[in-house]
Amino acid sequence: MPKLGAIIAIALVAAAAAQARTNDTTITGAGSTFVAPLVAQWTEPLGRAYGYTLQYSPIGSGGGITAITNRTVDFGASDAPLSADQFTACKGCLQIPWALSATAVIYNLDGAKNLLHMNGQTLAKVFTGQITRWNDPAIAKLNRGIKLPAQQIATVHRSDNSGTTYNFTDYLSSASPAWRSKYGKGVSVAWPSGTGQRGSSGVAAAVAQTPGSIGYVDVAYALKSHLKYFGIQNRAGRYATPGLKGILGAAASDVRPDRTTNELSIVNPPTRYELAYPISTYTYVIVPAQTAKAAELRKFLFWAVTKGQAYGPKLLFQPIPRQVLVVAEKAIAKIHA
Amino acid sequence: MSSVLTGRRRRPGDLSLQTVAGAAALASCVLVGLVVWKVVDGSRSSLHAYGLRFVTRVAWNPVSGHELYGAGSFLFGTALTSALSLLLAAPLALGVALYLSELAPRALRGPVTALVETLAAIPSVVVGLWGILVLGPLLRDHVEPTLHAALGFIPLFGPPSASGSSVFTAVVVLAIMILPIVASISRELFLAVPGNLKEAALALGTTRWEMVRGVVLPHARGGIAAALILGLGRAVGEAIAVTQVIGGGIGIHWNLFATGDTLASKIAAQYQGATTQLQTSSLVYLALILLAFSLVINVTAQWIVRR
Repeated sequence: MPKLGAIIAIALVAAAAAQARTNDTTITGAGSTFVAPLVAQWTEPLGRAYGYTLQYSPIGSGGGITAITNRTVDFGASDAPLSADQFTACKGCLQIPWALSATAVIYNLDGAKNLLHMNGQTLAKVFTGQITRWNDPAIAKLNRGIKLPAQQIATVHRSDNSGTTYNFTDYLSSASPAWRSKYGKGVSVAWPSGTGQRGSSGVAAAVAQTPGSIGYVDVAYALKSHLKYFGIQNRAGRYATPGLKGILGAAASDVRPDRTTNELSIVNPPTRYELAYPISTYTYVIVPAQTAKAAELRKFLFWAVTKGQAYGPKLLFQPIPRQVLVVAEKAIAKIHA
Repeated sequence: MSSVLTGRRRRPGDLSLQTVAGAAALASCVLVGLVVWKVVDGSRSSLHAYGLRFVTRVAWNPVSGHELYGAGSFLFGTALTSALSLLLAAPLALGVALYLSELAPRALRGPVTALVETLAAIPSVVVGLWGILVLGPLLRDHVEPTLHAALGFIPLFGPPSASGSSVFTAVVVLAIMILPIVASISRELFLAVPGNLKEAALALGTTRWEMVRGVVLPHARGGIAAALILGLGRAVGEAIAVTQVIGGGIGIHWNLFATGDTLASKIAAQYQGATTQLQTSSLVYLALILLAFSLVINVTAQWIVRR
């Protein structure tokens, strides 16, 4: 009988402990689909380290900004830096770089190998509809020795407000003055042609089932959906792939976040960054400077920009460089109750 | 006794029923008023910047420095997709309703009616997904080339789409969504036609088709019109499924196989995370136009039914 009592006592203690765990803090976030695979990796180790439950909804960068502006979540995540209007609307929000990756330009061409060559100016002409066929001299010139078909090119872009679109059009604007003056960069632009699709999943699905198509998605998504992607010519003239080496190469070009917005621009870096993949980008977490959950958010974000980075490489997120980490930590320290 | 029959004496039950029902009616009026006020209020800065010129202007550029908005292409897209989807769905829906109420073997009526109603219960996002994965490629590979080859001289049937996303795919998806609504309402209407009228017609030696044309359809005419308008309202307002399959794009063109956009689909695609205040306001302005559009449809419906 005393034995049974002991068992019951242990069971009660265990139950109480379990109760305590489930009563712990829940941190909610929403936004970028780009960073979602990485955040998903964090959930379990973060639970083990602090007992926090992390709930993240990948509704797109635009949605994340709306959500944090309305304070319906504890943090928002966006690949595009906040616009001036959005900073004002967000009322005292901090924008902190917390992950680093790239956008892959995917294609679907029967019989073609992976990593065909492409450059920014040609890509801009494809997306404006000036280049309409795969065997166009501009594309052929970049791919000597490869026979390209006379097939029609169909471009696919995002129809929702997307950080990936920001990264991609930022690159096109940098590589092509014509694109910059006519269309510019943004989370959504006035596409002159092509098909719009919702989310990375929509773009990937459309490219997968449209022969001859070209689209763009975050690199983790491109790998996951087994699509072919281009090697993109950087300013040094090399064809870089959206891998860790290429992303790190691009990240080296800007390690000084903007003093007020913490924004970093590593798109199409100068010639001396020989290894850079030119469509790389930081992605940001957006938190209110003043919040009731300040202590928890500080702990979570410190963890994310330090230990959390170790979960990145296998998803093609390059850990953020030291100098950027220092700035990120300073910004995190500003979160207060 | 007489007071009970005429209801002159107010009993507590009657009174509370009157109050609850009245409050519900009032609440719905207030709700409509609040929605209208909110939409007008939200579109104020766009109204101020563009005025009525917004309604017809064909432009949508949210990039800062290039910002310019207009509803022209979306208004055109909404009118085109909803009218065509109704045109496609109406004969099918009436056929289904006639079959289920007059022609089908009794054993079939129950199960088929249930299936048609299930079609109405499928969430629009699921229909849209099916549109992307199955219907779009099917139309692109088989239906669009055939139509273009045979009827290419009509501007509506231009060169087939590349990706399967097109105005045509949206029209077919919308037709599938409004078919069960029109079909099940019409079936009820046909069933409500008095049996003795139908029997009298048959007794006079009419064929089944003559009976349907001479008795069933005239009897249900007003109701059918209302059902069609209800379907049209659904087509005008549907956002998610259309966003998924229409492909987007700015401009007015008649080629059904090219991409396009509608008011509701533009709002659904871009409201979340709009970057500037003017963009948000212009999206709400689109909602205002959509609201006015639906109001016109509703009023027309009531006018037709009364007539």
